[in-house]
Amino acid sequence: MMAGVGGGNDFQWCFSQVKGAIDEDVAEADIISTVEFNYSGELLATGDKGGRVVIFQREQESKNRQVSRGEYNVYSTFQSHEPEFDYLKSLEIEEKINKIRWLPQQNAAHFLLSANDKTIKLWKISERDKRAEGYNLKDEDGRLRDPFRITTLRVPVLMPMDLMVEASPRRIFANAHTYHINSISVNSDYETYLSADDLRINLWHLEITDRSFNIVDIKPANMEELTEVITAAECHPHQCNVFVYSSSKGTIRLCDMRAAALCDRHSKFFEEPEDPSSRSFFSEIISSISDVKFSHSGRYMMTRDYLSVKVWDLNMENRPVETYQVHEYLRSKLCSLYENDCIFDKFECCWNGSDSAIMTGSYNNFFRMFDRNTRRDITLEASRENSKPRAMLKPRKVCTGGKRKKDEISVDSLDFNKKILHTAWHPKENVIAVAATNNLYIFQDKMN
Amino acid sequence: MDVEAKRIMALSISKLYSLRTQRGGLRLHRSLLLSMTMRAARDIYHTAQLLRDAEEEQVVPCAPDAATEEPMEISKDSSQTLTPKEVAMKPQESLEEDKENRCASERHSRKRRDKAALEPDFLPLKKAKMDTDEEKQHLQGEILRTNNGNSCRQVDTLTAFPTNRAIVAC
Repeated sequence: MMAGVGGGNDFQWCFSQVKGAIDEDVAEADIISTVEFNYSGELLATGDKGGRVVIFQREQESKNRQVSRGEYNVYSTFQSHEPEFDYLKSLEIEEKINKIRWLPQQNAAHFLLSANDKTIKLWKISERDKRAEGYNLKDEDGRLRDPFRITTLRVPVLMPMDLMVEASPRRIFANAHTYHINSISVNSDYETYLSADDLRINLWHLEITDRSFNIVDIKPANMEELTEVITAAECHPHQCNVFVYSSSKGTIRLCDMRAAALCDRHSKFFEEPEDPSSRSFFSEIISSISDVKFSHSGRYMMTRDYLSVKVWDLNMENRPVETYQVHEYLRSKLCSLYENDCIFDKFECCWNGSDSAIMTGSYNNFFRMFDRNTRRDITLEASRENSKPRAMLKPRKVCTGGKRKKDEISVDSLDFNKKILHTAWHPKENVIAVAATNNLYIFQDKMN
Repeated sequence: MDVEAKRIMALSISKLYSLRTQRGGLRLHRSLLLSMTMRAARDIYHTAQLLRDAEEEQVVPCAPDAATEEPMEISKDSSQTLTPKEVAMKPQESLEEDKENRCASERHSRKRRDKAALEPDFLPLKKAKMDTDEEKQHLQGEILRTNNGNSCRQVDTLTAFPTNRAIVAC
C-alpha cells in the first residue's frame, strides 16, 4: 500500500476535497462526530456536535468533465437534534449526533437514522423537482379563490421547478435509554435495528416508535458492582439473528436472538488473554473497545482499542487473527494522555469494500491504513497543506526515538488536539472520508 | 512508584468530580474507567506506604525527630485502612446518586456514620484540593501539547448526579 508502487492492493491516495471552515478557531458545534457512506456510496452523511446532519452527494461523472471525478457536493443540511433538558434528573441532553446509519434505498427517497445520547430519529430525504400548478380552489400564491367565481374545472399540471431536497423526521424513537446511546445498527432484515447504551441494548422495529424490546441488560442489581459497560454494538451483515457488542473490558460477545428473548447469555465470547508484562495503571482504559465492525463478508469482525486494531475470526474466540498497532509509541506516554484526557478518545475503524484493508485514525490528523494481505501499513495526514487537487499524499512517519530523520515527526511534536476519530470507506470504490475536527477530507485512489 | 500512584489517584479524583458538572450528564463509561484507575493507584499507594512504614519501623525504631511527620501519616493511613470489601465499594460511591454527600445535613452524617472513621484522604478536603492543584501545575511542563492544559472543565451548573433509579425501557 505504499505510494508509488502499483499493482495489487497498493493504493495511491490523492487529495480530492475538503469541506468545512478554514478558521483556526473551531466552533465546538462544528466538530464532526460521525461520518457514514450510504449503501451505494452516492451519499455521504456527517453529523456534528451541534446536532446537524450534512449530506453530500456524489456528482455523476461525465466524460467531458474529467476534472471533477465524482466530487461530493452538499445535498441536504438539516437540524436533526436539539439540546434538551431532562427535568426529572436535572440534566442537559446534548444534541451531538453520535451515530448516523443509512437504510438501504427502496424507493426514490433516502432514509437514515441519526442518534444523540437519548433519542433516535428516522429521517426521510426526498427530492422535489416538480410542483403542481393550476389548482382549482386556490391561486398560484396560495390564496383561496372565491368558490362562486369558479366557473370551470381544470386538471393541475406538474411543472418543473428548481430541485429542492427536503428532510423530514418520519419517526422519533425516544425514552428508551437511561444511559448514553453509543451505537445504532440496522439489521439485515431491513425492518429492525438495534440501539445500545452503556448498559442496555434495545431492538426496535422501524415502524414502531412507542416500544422496543430490551435484548441485553448488563446493569447489575447493585450499581456498586458495576465492572464493565457496553461500548459498541453491531448487527451481523447477513444473519439477522446475530449481533455483537463490545465492552470496556476489551471483550466482545456475540449473541443469537433465536436462543432467548433476553440475550444476556452470549453465544460466543471473544477475549484475548492479557499480557501481564504490559500491565499498568492504564491497562483497563486502553483495553476498552471503542468500536466494533463486521467485515462485509460477515466472517470477520474488527475491534479498535486505544492502541491497536484487531481482526477476529468469528470462529475463533480465544484470540484475534490479526493485530495491528496504530500508534504503539504512545504506550510510554499514557500518563500524560491520561492527564489531558486523550486516553479516553474513542477511535472508530472501518473496512474497505472488499475487506482487504482497514483504516483507523490517530493524532496529529494522521490516519492509518493496513493491508491485510500484504501486511503493509501506511500513515497519511489530513491537512490543508496537501490540499491541491489530486495531489498525492505522502506517507508520514513518527520518530519513536533516536535521531529524527528528515520528514519524520517526533512523538512530542504531535498535536493531540488534532485527532481523527471518524473515518469512512466507500462501500465499492477506493474513496475515503476522514473527519478532522470540523473539516471533512475526501481522498481518492489515483487508480479510481 | 507510590509518588506516581498518589499523583494518579489525585488526578483521577479531580477528574471524577469534574465529570459531575459536565454537560450531558454523567458519563458512566468514563467514570467507571476513572474509578478503576483511581482504585488501582490507591491500592498501590497504600501498599507502598505500608511497606515503607514497616521498613522504617524496623530500621529506625527510636528516632523521634525523624518520625515527626511519619506518625501522623501512619495514623492517618491506619484509620484509612479499608477492608477489601470497602476497597471494592469505595470507588463505586462516586457513581451513585451523590446528593447526600453534597449537603452537610444530619441525613448525610447518618448515612455515612459507619464509614466516618474511615474517611480516606481523597474525599474533598481543602488540603487535598490544594495538593491536586499543585501537582497539576507541576505536571504542566511534562505533559504533551494539549489545548490549554486544563483537562477538567469547570462548568458552573446545578446539574446533579444522575440516579440509579431503574427506568423501565419502553
